[in-house]
Order: sequence, then structure tokens, then C-alpha cells
Amino acid sequence: MTKRILNLVALLALVLSGAASAHDYVPGAPQSQPILLKGGDLYTVAAGVLPHTDLLFENGRITQIGPDIIPPENTNVIDISGKRVYPGLIDMATTLGLIEIGEVRATNDQTEQGRVTPEVTAATAYNPDSELLPTVRSNGITTVLVYPGGSLIQGRSSLMNLDGWTREDAAEKPVAALHVTWPRTRIVTAWWMQQSPEEQKKENAKNRDELSKAFEDAHAYYIAKKADPSIPVDLRWEAMLPVFDRELPVIIYANDYRQIEQAIAFGRKWNLRFIIAGATEAFRALDLLKEHNVPVIVRRVLDLPPGQDDPYDAAFTLPHLLHEAGVPFAIATYSSWASRNLPFHAGMAVAFGLSKEEGLRSITLTPAEMLGVDGEIGSLEVGKKATLVVAAGDILDMMSHRVEMMFIEGKSVDLNDRHKELYEKYQRKHWSEDK
Amino acid sequence: MTKVPHTLAEWRAGRYLFDMAKRIILILLAVVSISFAGTTPELGIHDKTPTVKAFVNARIVQSPARTIENGTMVVADGRIVAIGGSVTVPGGATVFDLAGKTIYPAFIDPVTEYGVPNAERPRRRWGEAPRYEAERAGADAWNDALHPELNWVDEFQPDSKEADELLALGFATVQSARLDGILRGRSTVVTLGEGLPNDLILKAYGRQFGSFDKGSSEQQYPSSQMGAIALIRQTLLDTDWYDKAQSAYSRNPAQKAPETNRALEAMQGVRTDGMVFETANALEILRADRIGREFSVPMIMIGGGNEYTRLAAIKQSGVDLILPLEFPETPAVKDIGDEYDVTLGQLRHWEWAPFNAYLLDSAGIEFAFTTHGLKNTKDFWKNLRTAISCGLPAQTALAALTSVPARIAGVDDQVGTLEQNKLASFVLTDGDLFDEKTHIYSVWVAGEKRHEEIKLDQVDFRGNYTLQIDHRAVTLKLTGDITKLSGKIEIDSATSMTLTDISIAPDVIAFSAVLDSLGMDGTTRFEARRSENGLVGFYVSADGGKHQWSAERIETAADEKKKKTPEEEPPSRISRLTSPNIAYGFETPPTQQSVLITNATIWTSDEAGVLENADLLVQDGKIRAIGSDLEAPSGVLTIDASGMHVTPGIIDEHSHIAIAGDVNEGTHAVTAEVRIGDIVDPEDIAIYRELAGGTTAAQLLHGSANPIGGQAQVVKLRWGAGPEAMKMPEAPNGIKFALGENVKQSNWGERYTVRYPQTRMGVETIIRDAFQTAREYEQAHEQFGKLGKGDRERTIPPRQDLLMDALVEVLNSNMFVHCHAYVQSEMLMLMRLAEDFGFRLASFEHVLEGYKIADEMAAHGVGGGSFADWWAYKFEVYDAIPYSPALMSERGVLVSINSDSPEQGRRLNQEAAKSIMYGGMSPEEALKMVTINPARQLGIDRYTGSLAVGKDADFVIWSDNPLSMYAVAQQTWIDGRKYFDIENDHKMRETLSQEKSELVQKVLKTGESSGRKDRGGPGGPKPYSGQYDDAFDLWIGAGEGGYYHD
Repeated sequence: MTKRILNLVALLALVLSGAASAHDYVPGAPQSQPILLKGGDLYTVAAGVLPHTDLLFENGRITQIGPDIIPPENTNVIDISGKRVYPGLIDMATTLGLIEIGEVRATNDQTEQGRVTPEVTAATAYNPDSELLPTVRSNGITTVLVYPGGSLIQGRSSLMNLDGWTREDAAEKPVAALHVTWPRTRIVTAWWMQQSPEEQKKENAKNRDELSKAFEDAHAYYIAKKADPSIPVDLRWEAMLPVFDRELPVIIYANDYRQIEQAIAFGRKWNLRFIIAGATEAFRALDLLKEHNVPVIVRRVLDLPPGQDDPYDAAFTLPHLLHEAGVPFAIATYSSWASRNLPFHAGMAVAFGLSKEEGLRSITLTPAEMLGVDGEIGSLEVGKKATLVVAAGDILDMMSHRVEMMFIEGKSVDLNDRHKELYEKYQRKHWSEDK
Repeated sequence: MTKVPHTLAEWRAGRYLFDMAKRIILILLAVVSISFAGTTPELGIHDKTPTVKAFVNARIVQSPARTIENGTMVVADGRIVAIGGSVTVPGGATVFDLAGKTIYPAFIDPVTEYGVPNAERPRRRWGEAPRYEAERAGADAWNDALHPELNWVDEFQPDSKEADELLALGFATVQSARLDGILRGRSTVVTLGEGLPNDLILKAYGRQFGSFDKGSSEQQYPSSQMGAIALIRQTLLDTDWYDKAQSAYSRNPAQKAPETNRALEAMQGVRTDGMVFETANALEILRADRIGREFSVPMIMIGGGNEYTRLAAIKQSGVDLILPLEFPETPAVKDIGDEYDVTLGQLRHWEWAPFNAYLLDSAGIEFAFTTHGLKNTKDFWKNLRTAISCGLPAQTALAALTSVPARIAGVDDQVGTLEQNKLASFVLTDGDLFDEKTHIYSVWVAGEKRHEEIKLDQVDFRGNYTLQIDHRAVTLKLTGDITKLSGKIEIDSATSMTLTDISIAPDVIAFSAVLDSLGMDGTTRFEARRSENGLVGFYVSADGGKHQWSAERIETAADEKKKKTPEEEPPSRISRLTSPNIAYGFETPPTQQSVLITNATIWTSDEAGVLENADLLVQDGKIRAIGSDLEAPSGVLTIDASGMHVTPGIIDEHSHIAIAGDVNEGTHAVTAEVRIGDIVDPEDIAIYRELAGGTTAAQLLHGSANPIGGQAQVVKLRWGAGPEAMKMPEAPNGIKFALGENVKQSNWGERYTVRYPQTRMGVETIIRDAFQTAREYEQAHEQFGKLGKGDRERTIPPRQDLLMDALVEVLNSNMFVHCHAYVQSEMLMLMRLAEDFGFRLASFEHVLEGYKIADEMAAHGVGGGSFADWWAYKFEVYDAIPYSPALMSERGVLVSINSDSPEQGRRLNQEAAKSIMYGGMSPEEALKMVTINPARQLGIDRYTGSLAVGKDADFVIWSDNPLSMYAVAQQTWIDGRKYFDIENDHKMRETLSQEKSELVQKVLKTGESSGRKDRGGPGGPKPYSGQYDDAFDLWIGAGEGGYYHD
């Protein structure tokens, strides 16, 4: 008890002194013995729901799925009858590990100075000991895409597992995508806007030119480098080389219809492997997205409509509309601590038309596909990593949501967190006062 | 002595015509003696030019109601001495023959800044600390936005440039004041004449001007509209106090003298004089009217242009109106996607605004026009004609420019109509004033011609002439406007030569032409005057030879033009008018229905618990019965809710929607005097969106920028109702307090370090000091109240202080305290402080560390209005846990879950459900956290919050278990009225999108599109769209430090 308080004091001191804070939960050890999850309902995503089916994983990978698996020797058999197994949930946009407390500047490492900073990588600053991480994984999220902030070319995101000793062993894919924010197209007439519509249009065009220029320069570097690998290294354009080889996807943050339209044209012009993210007005661009086969990352389903005239449920129905139009999509929270509500964003989409299967897919397999890690995570399939969650109820519904076990690459993850600790601690205060 | 006619009827009877002839002679004699009335010495030769003028043969529009077809007006020394159909022109008068001309009373602009110096706009000084104190000078008001003691007559200087602009439009008289600040000083009413200020003033001390805008004041307070309202209210109270204090002191000088305050002295007459109040929209008119009524101050409102959206309320208020003649810019919708930047409300307003004057007139509301608010003065006539083409009767338009503003400015005894003894200020035209083809020839101010557009003897050269030149007969055609001609010389229908450099003087025309088709070299220059039957003059050919020429008139251009003018289509409207007038507004408000809901799962949030397969009967807005197999009385609508769930309407105990302007009066540390109830905004789309999520009532709270913030307002979300009708008068008063980082300005930036308090220690002491003082204040008032009548009159009374009044209400447990708080130390502090002063706190808001002191809270009896799971956005919420609501509830704290956000306010059922997963609360208890518990925290549980017989019929029908993620609200009812229905909503989407497309087409058809800035405005989006979160609470309204938070 005293030790815990001392820890807290030490923690506060650390935070106040500007250092990043650290949580106390020990990362899982590499899987040393086979584990058989027996008799659960498997929400495989890849092959529907398999009721009362066993799942065996060894050395971090799923080795068998089926009824009545005969476990190898030394298997830890866990009876999970009546419970559900889900692939670990993936949040395609968080600042976890980069921002501890938004208002405390010293704990914020999200946005580098400058408008064109493709050279920075999120994983570099990722704090695997952030107190926020355990609270997020408690709700079934195993993996998050951590992205750098910025106004034009933000930098490169990293796909991180929410359990690990260091940023290196936590990384699922340290360099996952290049992030671009599409310049504003909307004309703002609110009281705080100082620029006239004409001035705004000019400014918006200027920003687009700046973005184009960066890509032109990067491409010039790409051509020159191909011809002569010994040219002087420009860190910015070096970071963008795999973009022109279509190795590194480009996630373009574009919300309103015009941004989406322009971003699609841009992506096609440069022959990028690109994804439209944000996409709050994607319901106005369904044909366009389908025609060019552009996947979408939906920014928050639990959100207001983009415009005053838009239906109250515009954000709730967007995933359903995308699905009906045949546009692949993932759902992301664009948040830090609130990443833990990821499953409920998908749940809301289900309340407004999407099927539960598609709701689950949008926070598991589709994100994995977007980042090219669908061979590793995102569904329950033999050969894939044992990154999965055991829950007592429907993971998309907070009324029955109850995550009981989590494995990341077969490692058993401690589901304790700061909130449970404090809950337990203060229950003791009150119980003792009862005496 | 001569009797003056009192009525037009007497006048018409001609009873006084004889008297009048005598009278004219008397007046003419008097002119000489009057000129000895000035005080300014003449340093040169005395000007004794005769001033007697007679305007004869004119069509005289004396007033909107009376016209003399062929009349005479005699003017002497600037005044009308006689006017009528058979007035004798006195000998010696200068006579102006106005045959074919019309004279109108010149216009009066009731709102200008003519001749008064401009306000210095605040300079931006980055990095400078905010200024909380006023720049005091003289015995003035404590706030820089209050300067009622200024008399703008003291500053008035005629300004010929400004005057010329107004004269050219037809104005001869203006009411002037500097339009800056909240109490702006008293106007002065002047003519646009020339000369000494002394001689131009019609009314030296006009009305007090006011607004909600602090203008150039750099003092922090007030930063919000509710702050401005509180400031006006307090000043009006102080005005009364000052009078009493001074008279008590004069009766008994043996006491400490009350302060001298020029501002309060100047306010003494405001109840009789009334106030001219500038507003931005119809809702602000209603707000200003409320203050006017409260203090019996007659109000004249300067409108914002969307009065048509609230005709009934404005009519009922009975206020006088002054309308700016400005219309919204044409929305830019050229490019695909532009239409998403424009709201339906903005498009509707664009279409309807020109009809505003017409609609007001049709509703029987009187108004004056003003040029104030015009971005470009030159639009005045264009917009005036637009208003008339939209149905405004010309007679009303004339009244709005003449008789009504004369009355409003208090000078209707001198100007506004053309009547005997009034000033001879008039507009001289060649036709009907509002006809597009009519010219204003001149504008006269007090008998002097001050503006001349066209000289009275201007020859109309327009027409076709047969021109003899070089021995050939060709046709000369002069067309266009009387003062701006174009023309050509035609040989035949196929060959013509255009005239260039056409210039005209009243009786001379000159032009040039290249007459190559006539075989003449170079440029030929012409000059001519009007002759009996055409033109006679000279021309100079290329070789320098000067030749005579003449032309005979064939047909007049005017005749030709008349034939050609096509009938213009009268403007029409295609868009609807709804309440509120934005998308999803109601065309007709929902009516109260008797309804029986059957076969539902009913969550009563009451002792009855959850009832399966149950019925609910609603009549007269109340719940009449709950049970199984209820019979539907005749005429009752039955809704089969099989498979559905019914819950009480959700109550958001912490909301900032439906608030106009800033949510924070984020300036002083204690602002108990401000009231959210003053600024309820029923036009916020968030209201409708929250109805769609089952929310039926909300406590609208002040922000969290101050330890003691403003007073709260509990409303029901009666979409489409007016601001007053949204309020729940049965709710006890409430007030917002706040603790911690926000109030000690931890995250406001480095500039904000000068306000007390900067620590949690100081937060305690400033609150303690406020209550201690409030208690002493109450005692002082009690002691004063105990004095006998005589003593009361001799004793300076304690001043009534709205801030202290609110705190006294708290001390007497008549006002609920809802305190924004995060950490346990500060919550303990406030509980103990409240206990010291003998009152109980109603709730801690957000209450993130409530779980640490649940027992202490339960013992005090304070509720917890919690977030479900927010944390980590700032340091003081690093210990927040989502288990807190469950733990607090277990320990006996009354817990509600609330939103602080227009986004979460739409799905509080889900936020409540989080306590099922964090802490294992039962679904039934979880639902109570957003129904009966907040109702109890707000003291409205007798009326709403649960489904029980006799309570208000506020309920929601859900598709599924309301605590499930998958539940969707199908219908939301308040007081037995259906405010949301998901089926209607889907239908509305279709019609709204069609209406918008049609409006966009209409804009495109006008061909206009502007790049000018037109910010916000009626029908436009609210200045936020995202979550408020705690940062919103803090920032919005923190002056220039504030930012838009997404």
C-alpha cells in the first residue's frame, strides 16, 4: 500500500519534471507453451462465426482451429465455453504513446515543427510505458496505428502492439504509412474567420501547390536516386522513396467532398497506394471512391454531422453507406485515451445499418489489409499471429462488453490498468471506513 | 393671433386660408428680427440675402398619406410658412416653377455617426496581460463600455463629405451618436445643413443609445452577451440607487457622501426618454426587449434583418424598429461543392431578407429605415427599390424614411412631413420617388439647396432629330439618361456613326463624331443649344472650318423608351419559413396529443421498475396511466410498441447547447450576476440532434472559467419554440461554480497570470470572501429594511448588487450550486466551505475524483454529475477512472452522467451504459443516471425524469434495450408533443435537400456571386461543431485568447 503511494508520488514527480510517465504492468513473456482455448465461439472475421470451436496457438501463432482439437503435450488448456474469441482490435489512428496528457506540453510528442516533415516516424517517440496503453487494451484493442501530427506532410506512422518492453518489441510495423493532410477546401464564414472567401480560396490553392511541390521534389529525388544511388541524402525525400514504389501506403486525411475529390486525383496522378482518411463527407463521394477503388478510414462514427443541414446520423450511417457502395473501410478513433471506445464506434455503425460482421471487420481485418499485415493479424486463421481477445459478451456493445483475456503474438497480456488499480484502492478506503 | 389648423380636415376646409395670408406677412416681417438671435459675432459684412422662396406648380407629397397635386409651398428662413393648393405667393419671394416636378419630405436617418468622431479600435498587443480595470477619467462608470454621460452634441461638427453622401440619397436630417460600447451616450439630432453646429441642431439631447457589444473597450469585462446584459441590468439598478442615495444625502449630510457618478446621473432620464438599442437579429431584439420591460425603459430596436422569422413575438413586444437596408450577400455556389459551405438557413435568409420590410408591414409592425449597416451606401436605393418590388407599399416606405424616423428621433414637430412651421427640408424629383426612372433633382435642407443632381433648368436633349449636315439630311439619335446621353448619327438603318465625348450643361450639348460614312475627314466636333423645334449650333470640321447646323426634333426618346420597357417579374419565394428557420425546423409546431403506447418494455426509472409488455397512457401533456391492457379512451392515438422500449426522456444535467454567444463570462473571478437564461438560443441545431438521441431536457450551464460563474437555465428541448417557452420555470435556480486548472488559468497561456486566484488555495479564499461579503450584504439590507420610513429616506441605502443577490440566494438555499471540479482536495474544500456557511451543494460536475471521496460526498449530500470515461486530457484528470460513477453510486452518492458536449448529449444512454461495463451497475440503475437522477439533482424530479402517473409526458420510444449499443430512438415526446419521429426525419431529409437544390438554382440564375465577406449571419452555422470538452468550457469566451475547438 505505502509502496504503491510512493510509486504514485514518484510518478507524479516524474510527470511534473517533464519526463514521460510509466506504468507498472509487466509485459507478457514470449509464449513458452501451447495454449488451447477450448469451446469458445470464434469470431474469425475471415470465416464467419464458429460456435463451440477450439483454437490452438503455439510459439505466438495460431496452429489449429476446429472442434475438439487434441492438444500437444504441455498445453495450457483454457476452457472458455460460452465466451467469445475475437481477433485483437486495431485502431487505425491514435496518438497513444506520443501524448500522455494533452495540456501538459512536455508530455506531447506528436507534431514536429514544419509543414513538410515526411522524415519523422511515430515509433521513435512511442512510450510503451504510457499509463494510457493498459486502459485501452483492457477494452480489446491490441494494436494501434500511431500517427504524427502536422499540417501537410506529417510524417510516417507506426503500427504498434499495446504490450512490450520497448518500442522495438512493441512494433508490429514500425513504418506503416506516410500521412498527408489534404489542404482545406471549405470556405468558412464563421465569426472567427478573418479571411474573405476569395482570400480563403487563394490560400487553399497555395497550400495545394505547396503539397504538389513537395511531391515533385520528392519524385525528382526518386528519379535521381534510381539513376545514381550515391547522390547526397535528403532525409525528407529519402523517407518518401517507398511511396513511389507503392510499397508505403499514403494515408491522406481529407474530410469534405472537395478534399476527397482532389485527394483521389492526386493519388492517381502520382500512382500512390493511398487511403482516404477522415472522410466525414465520404457519403457525398461514394461513386468516386468505388470507381477508383479507394479504401477509407472513417474518423469516429460517434460524431456530429459535418454540416448543419446534414442528417443527425450522417456519421452513424457512413460505414453502412460505404459498405453498400462496395468501398472497403476501417473505423478509427483519432484520439488517445478514447481509443478504448473503438469497438463502440463500430457498434454504433451496426445500430445504423451495418451488419455485426462488417462492423467487426472494420476494426480488425480491413485495417490489417490496408497496412499489408493481414497475413499476420486481423483475423483468426491458422498461421496468423495469436493476437486475440477472449470476451464474455458482445465486444461491440458496452452493455455486454467484457474482455477477460488478451494475447498478443501468443504473449499473455496483463489486463490490469491504472483505472482498475485506483478503483480497487479506493474501494479499500471505503470498506475500511465502514468498520 | 392666427390659429394654426390642428387637423388635416380643418386644413382642407380652407377655414384658415385667409388667416394664413395675414400670417405670412407677419412672418416675413419677423425674419429681420430673427436674424439678431445669433451669438456668434459677424466679422465681415452681414448676410441679409432674402430667404423667402415660393415653390409653385409642384406636386407636393406632404406626408405618406397626403398629396397636393398642384400646390405651392412658401418658405421663409428655412421654415414652411404656407403650403397648400391655393396659397398666395407673397410679393418679393423668389419663385421656383416646379411644373412637372414633385417634392417629398426629405428623409431622416435615425442611426448615423454623422459628425461625431470615430472610436479608436483596440490595438492588438500580443503578450500583454489582460486588462481587468477601466481607464478611469472624470467621475465615470467603472466599465469602459459604459459612457452614458457622453452627449454627442458636445462633439458634433458638420462634415461636408459625409453630409454629401447622405444628401445624395435624399436625407436632410440625421440622428447621430458614436455607435460604440454598451451604453453609448445620448444622440443629437441635426440637419445636414451648412453652418455652425449651433444652427444645425434640431434636438440637442436625443435618446441614449445602447447595444450588447462592448466595442472599443479593452477592458476584459464583459466578454459575453450575457455579461453585457448583466452589466446593463446592474447599471439600471444603480441608476435608481444613485437617485435614492443622493437624495438621502441631501436630506442628511451627516453621513458619508455617496460617490459622484456622472454615468448614473446621465441615466436618470432613461425611463422617460427610452433607448435606441442596436441588435444583430430577431432574438437579440427579444433579449433587449426583456431588459426594457424589466426596467420599464421604452426600447427602439435597430434590427438585424431577420425579423420576419419572429413576427409574432416582435409584434407582441410592441417595440419600435429601425431597419438597416442591407441584404445578405448572394451566396457563392458557382463551383461544385460550394453548396456545402452554405447552409439552407443562409440560403433561405438570402431569399427572404428583401421581403423583411414587407412582412413586417403586413404584420402591422411600424419601422424606420436607416443607412446604418450598409456595407456600401450606394446600395441604399437599389435595396429600397428591391424591398418595394418585394411588396412593401410605397407609402410605408416613404413613412419609414420620413414620418416614422422623425418620431423615433423625437423631431416630428420639426421635420418628417411638409407642413406649416416645419423645416423646409425636401427632395425634388421629376416623378414618383420610388420609380427607377425618376431622378432626384435636388435635396433641400431648411430652405437651402444642399445637393443638386440635376439643375431645374436642365434641358432634356433626348430624342430623334433630322440633322442637316453637309447638305445632307441624316438622323441624330440621342438616348439614355437625361444627364448621361449616348447617341449616333444614322444615314440609314444599316449605316451609323457613334457619338463620342458627349457633354451637357443645362442648356448646351456638345459631342464629337467621326463622320467617314458621310465622306468627312477626321473628327468633327459639335455644339448646340435647344431651339424652338430642335437644336441649333456649330460644328468644327477636320480642317478647322466652323459651320452652323440645326436639327429638327422628330420624336421624344422618353416616349420610345416607355413602349420598350418589359414588365419585370415580381420577385417570389420558393423556400419555406420554419421555426427555427434552419434545416429541420418545424413548419407547424407539434400539437399536444392524447396517446396510448401499448405492448412496450417500459423503463419507469421509478419504483415500478422495468415493466414488460406494458402500456402508457398520455393525456393533456401528462402521464395518465401505466400498466397492462390499458383501454384507449376515444380519440386517443394508439402506438403499438411491440418489441420496443419506452424510457423517460433523457436529461442532460450539464449542457452548453442552445446558448447564444459565449458560454463563459470568462473575465472576473466571480460572475454570479450573469444568467444563461438571458441568452437562450432556440435556433441551435444541437437541440434537434439531441431530440434525435432521446434527450428532452437539459441544464444549460455557464462555462468553467471562474470560481463563481454564472446562473444556469434548465430547459426542455422544445424545438421550434421561442427562448422563453423553452425554459422550465418550475426548475429551481442554479449557478455554476468551478475549481482547479480552469479557474486558476493554468492552461490559458503565459499572459493569464495576473488574475486572483492562481492556486487552489486562492480559489478557496476568493469563494469564502464572496460568501462572507454576501452575508454582510444581506445583513446591511435587512438593517436598512428595519428603518422607519423617515429614516430610510435620510439614510443612504445599501446598493442592490446582482452578484451579491445571487450569492445570498445560495446562502439561503434558494439557488442550487453545480460546481465543476476534478480533484478530491478541492471538492472537500468546497463541501467544508459550504458547511461553514450553512448550505448544501447540489452537484459536482465532472467529479472525476469523486470516487476518492464518495463517503464524504454522500455525507454532505452533494450529487455527482459525472463524465462516463474521460481522462488524461490535462493533468488534473490523470486520476480519473471510469469506475467512479459506479463506486459513487454504491456509496450512496446521487450520480448522473452528463455530456458537456453537443455530440454526447445525443447518446447519453450509451454513456450511462459504460457503468455497466465499468463497475457492474445494473442496466436499470444505469438508465437512472440519465433520467431521474439528473432530475433530482436539478430539483425537477416532481415533473420529469421518470414515468409515473401525473408527471410530464416526456418519453422516448427506442428500437431496442436503451442501454444497448444498438438502440435507436424512434420517437421523442415532451409534454405529450412529438418533437422527433425518425420516419418524419427521413421524409424531411428529402424535402430539405430538394429545397436546397432549388435555392442553389435560384442563386445561379441571378448570376451574382460574391467574394465579399459575410460572416455568420442569420441561418448560418453556430461557431462550433465539435465536442466542447473541458477545453471548450474554458476557452470559448476567454477573449482573444480563445480559440475554436474542434
